[in-house]
Amino acid sequence: MSSRCRASFAFIAVAALVAGACNREERHSRAKPIGETVPAGESPDTIWPGGTVPQTLDPRAKLYDNNAPAISQGQQLFTQMNCVGCHSHGGGGMGPALMDDEWRYGGRIDQIATSIAEGRPNGMPSWRSKLTTDQIWQLAAYVRSLSGQPSKDAVSSRAEAMSNATPQTLAPREPAHTSDTAEQ
Amino acid sequence: MQRVEYLFTALGASAACAALSACNRSPPKQQLGSATVYQAAPVGDHAVAAPAASPADDGNWVMPGKDYAATRFSALNQVTPANVSKLALSFTFSTATTHGYEAPPLVVKGTMYLITPFPNYLYALDLTKPGAPTKWVFKPKPLAASQGVACCDTVNRGAAYDQGRIFFNTLDGQTIAVDANSGQQVWRTQLGDIQKGETITMAPLVAGGKVLVGNSGGEMGVRGWIAALDEGSGKLAWRAYNTGPDKDVLIGPRFKPFYKSDQGKDLGVKTWPPEAWKIGGGTVWGWPSFDPETHLIYYGVGNPGPWNPDQRPGDNKWTTGVFARDVSTGEAVWFYQTTPHDLFDHDDINEIILADIPWKGQRRPVLFRPARAGFFYVQDRRTGQVLSAAPYGYVNGYKGVDLKTGLIIPNHDKDTKVGRVVRDICPAAPGLKDWNPSAFSPVTGLVYIPHNNLCMDFGAMQANYISGTPYVGADVKMYAGPGGNRGAFTAWDPIRQRKVWEIPEDLPLWSPALVTAGGVVFYGTMDGWFKAIDARTGKQLWRFKAGSGIIGQPISYRGPDGRQYIAFVAGVGGWAGAVVSAKMDTRDPTGALGFANAVKDLPMKTTAGGMLYVFTLPR
Amino acid sequence: MTVGGRASVVPLALAASACSYQHYQSTFGNAATEARQFNILFVIFLVICAIMYLAVIAFLVASIARRRRAGEANTVEEGRHHESNPLMRTALISWGAVVGSGLVALAIASFIADRSMASAAANEKLSITVTGNQWWWDVQYNAGDNSKMVRTANEIHLPVGVPVRIYLKSNDVIHSFWVPSLAGKQDLIPGRDTDITVVPRKVGIYRGQCAEFCGAEHAKMALVVDVDSYRDFIKWWQHQLQPAPAPATPLAKAGYAFVTSRNCSVCHAIAGTPASGTVGPDLTHFASRRTIAAGAMPMSEGNLYGWVEDPQSIKPGSKMPTIGLEPNELHAVVAYLETLK
Repeated sequence: MSSRCRASFAFIAVAALVAGACNREERHSRAKPIGETVPAGESPDTIWPGGTVPQTLDPRAKLYDNNAPAISQGQQLFTQMNCVGCHSHGGGGMGPALMDDEWRYGGRIDQIATSIAEGRPNGMPSWRSKLTTDQIWQLAAYVRSLSGQPSKDAVSSRAEAMSNATPQTLAPREPAHTSDTAEQ
Repeated sequence: MQRVEYLFTALGASAACAALSACNRSPPKQQLGSATVYQAAPVGDHAVAAPAASPADDGNWVMPGKDYAATRFSALNQVTPANVSKLALSFTFSTATTHGYEAPPLVVKGTMYLITPFPNYLYALDLTKPGAPTKWVFKPKPLAASQGVACCDTVNRGAAYDQGRIFFNTLDGQTIAVDANSGQQVWRTQLGDIQKGETITMAPLVAGGKVLVGNSGGEMGVRGWIAALDEGSGKLAWRAYNTGPDKDVLIGPRFKPFYKSDQGKDLGVKTWPPEAWKIGGGTVWGWPSFDPETHLIYYGVGNPGPWNPDQRPGDNKWTTGVFARDVSTGEAVWFYQTTPHDLFDHDDINEIILADIPWKGQRRPVLFRPARAGFFYVQDRRTGQVLSAAPYGYVNGYKGVDLKTGLIIPNHDKDTKVGRVVRDICPAAPGLKDWNPSAFSPVTGLVYIPHNNLCMDFGAMQANYISGTPYVGADVKMYAGPGGNRGAFTAWDPIRQRKVWEIPEDLPLWSPALVTAGGVVFYGTMDGWFKAIDARTGKQLWRFKAGSGIIGQPISYRGPDGRQYIAFVAGVGGWAGAVVSAKMDTRDPTGALGFANAVKDLPMKTTAGGMLYVFTLPR
Repeated sequence: MTVGGRASVVPLALAASACSYQHYQSTFGNAATEARQFNILFVIFLVICAIMYLAVIAFLVASIARRRRAGEANTVEEGRHHESNPLMRTALISWGAVVGSGLVALAIASFIADRSMASAAANEKLSITVTGNQWWWDVQYNAGDNSKMVRTANEIHLPVGVPVRIYLKSNDVIHSFWVPSLAGKQDLIPGRDTDITVVPRKVGIYRGQCAEFCGAEHAKMALVVDVDSYRDFIKWWQHQLQPAPAPATPLAKAGYAFVTSRNCSVCHAIAGTPASGTVGPDLTHFASRRTIAAGAMPMSEGNLYGWVEDPQSIKPGSKMPTIGLEPNELHAVVAYLETLK
């Protein structure tokens, strides 16, 4: 191969690599469409009398789950909306711990989004009238990152707060029990 | 050559050792659980309880403080240091709750009353029958959502009995009067609003024909108040706020604060940025006391909100201080601010013991306050003047109290600021002692203080106010103070202002104390040990391992058979025990407002529960 | 006039107009002591350096021209060039002296400018805290009496002739405070306190800009500084202390209900209402400001409609979400916001 041929070959290879890196994940500035409602988010363990009904995960989940900008925005909202005041940085307090693998109301992203939007008995406030759907999904994505669900390249690498818990980029990935396993 | 090298290494090593040991500031570890005696117990002229507020003991226990002077002293003397080790379990009772149990059992005329944490069941047990069977249960059915706005576990600090009725508060802000015999509701008044983040956890004080109730929610951006309901009808007689204009604080012509810094008009507005006093905290969730002679109630006010002090420059009156008010009208008579512009969440709501002390040849009516800020205040209860304020443990957040101006002297090295983490602040946010009250023995003249030894790192940040959600603005991490022990039980001489003896404890002490005329002091630890200690020498005489950690008030009463009984409910929780009662994850040190880091080992040492234990001497 | 003559008029006219221009946002604004000092220094530097530059160019041209002359004896001969150029030696020494004295003059000028800026700042009479957020400015006027503090956003009012110290903090990333007509740049660094002192000298309106890249909407993070007479400034301050008026019309009442019970109150504060959010700008006197969204648009009813309905299309990535208001809700909210003068 002549040197010119080698050079153009190298150029094409690099361009292909770079182009492949684009569109790794989508960052949008508003939910699409505007003004949609939050999903129902049943538990996969829900008993369906007379036979199981197949459930599909809400299609919006993949816009937010494992989405780094969404998790980062959710991290900001987590402090600003005072989630920190009840749940600390995942350890809990007034509210249950979010960094463990026990979920009272489900640990799938759409179930978490429903918990945030509708509120839950025993004290979780309802945010449907106070946050947009986009913001609620972003918070749900961040909450999942507290317990090690999303991949390491999506989670926030920098804790803005004094915490001393293992950073999420170093914490081992934990499988989620998506159903309700916590004792009430 | 080699010898020279060896010499240098030896010198270097010894220098390093010296340097490292110089860095270690904690004293040699005391023996946990055993007393260090500093001086002999005082003899001769010592403090006594205020006589009008502390009548003769009739063997009952009708209010959490035992009497209006909050002595928590039982005049029963069958149990003595000689025979306390023979105490045997008489009966038990499960309250069917597993959150923190902070209340004392009440005993009135052969019936025992227990008020549980959320859902605030009121049990009446018949002590005249063997096994103390349940007479009735009253279920107030508070709103479940109130659990979401209770900062520090869904506790209840007790009920009160007066003239045939039991009075108590529910978590969702109601005060309820129940007939003590039948268990039927007499009246119910809604005072707090959970939508604003208000709850009520304190035990009401029934005095002067009024039921005194204060709100909780200093971490939720509420506006703090104390209210008086008419004892017979439950109607609101007066409500005094602790922030805002003078007319809301019920400050009028009778108000005469002793120190200059507390004097002025509308200080509850002027010492705040505009509008900040409306969400400024100043709640009343601790222990009011009452002096029947002067008709004054004394109570402490909680922390200003948010915890981030940069959002509320100014003295933040009338938070973290003590008010004296007339019980009939609520008019303020005097006020003393313990920590102006509080930086460390040092609520001032601790118990206020009313006592008379010898002072320059005469008797002076005073009050004793082992405060959260770390100082044991002795103040004249007629005027609020501070007679002495000595630290009863290690304090570096303040340098002392200036008795001339009454002001606490801050240590500006420990000033908390947005964007910074200030380390090693002692005492930590729960203070040198939190809500759990001490006991005062007029026999020994000593105050028995169960308290903490915790320091903290504090990182302030901007707090956002959304009603019904926390309004804090701080990340906190707590850990053991100097010595390595997280708690201590101190016998304090209030007149000579010094420790008489002290028992270091591994875990913070979150249980109140009980002292008897027989000379025995009782308290419980967070891992479930109920201990009997000699009131004079601090020697441990007996202990019992309960099923759960103990944070509830032990009481002593005379049973229908004439014997002395000791009773308490074991059920760990509260702010310190939330790690267990709320099943928190201890990997996050900032959990439970920083407490998770201090008691990471608690889930290994105890589990949640709610069991009554009653002991007596065998026949 | 000839063509060349006419052409030379244009740059002169431009230069003249530059001198008389309002200097809304210009380092030649000269509207404050700091800016003036800085500009004097700038001119001194410009003159001295221009002289140096021209001299260097002249020497360069001269040396090139001399080189070009054919047949000139090669001056670089062994042992010859030393004696043949005593002139060169004098020139070198004197030129060195000129350069040296020029540098000393610059240093002295710089020192004097810096000291005079510092002394003008010494007795500050007013203190403001500006906190940078992505992508807006939180402005707080400090007062000895804390109940007289004022919180506003994206707009600073200053009294003319009064030294003001502006404390700078940041809530997230590094920003930089730059009002070119008034003073130089000063960074806002998270976790650190910096400050800048300004003594405004000319009444007027000046625009400032964030001067340190701080994220997607760094370009739309402007602020407006309004320098008033002292009396007007006090009137403005007293007006800012008033809480928001209660809504009068039914539409404004509906807007008030929406603002205090829906998304708005979670982030914004309006004094005199239950809304006390600190995440977003204080809106108590929002309608009296000159711009919306930190200079993204001038304040007008149409722009307000656009901003409230869809902030993400105007300032994509900003923290204010597009809620998706119904038309009647939008009318009500804008009607209420317009009462917040």
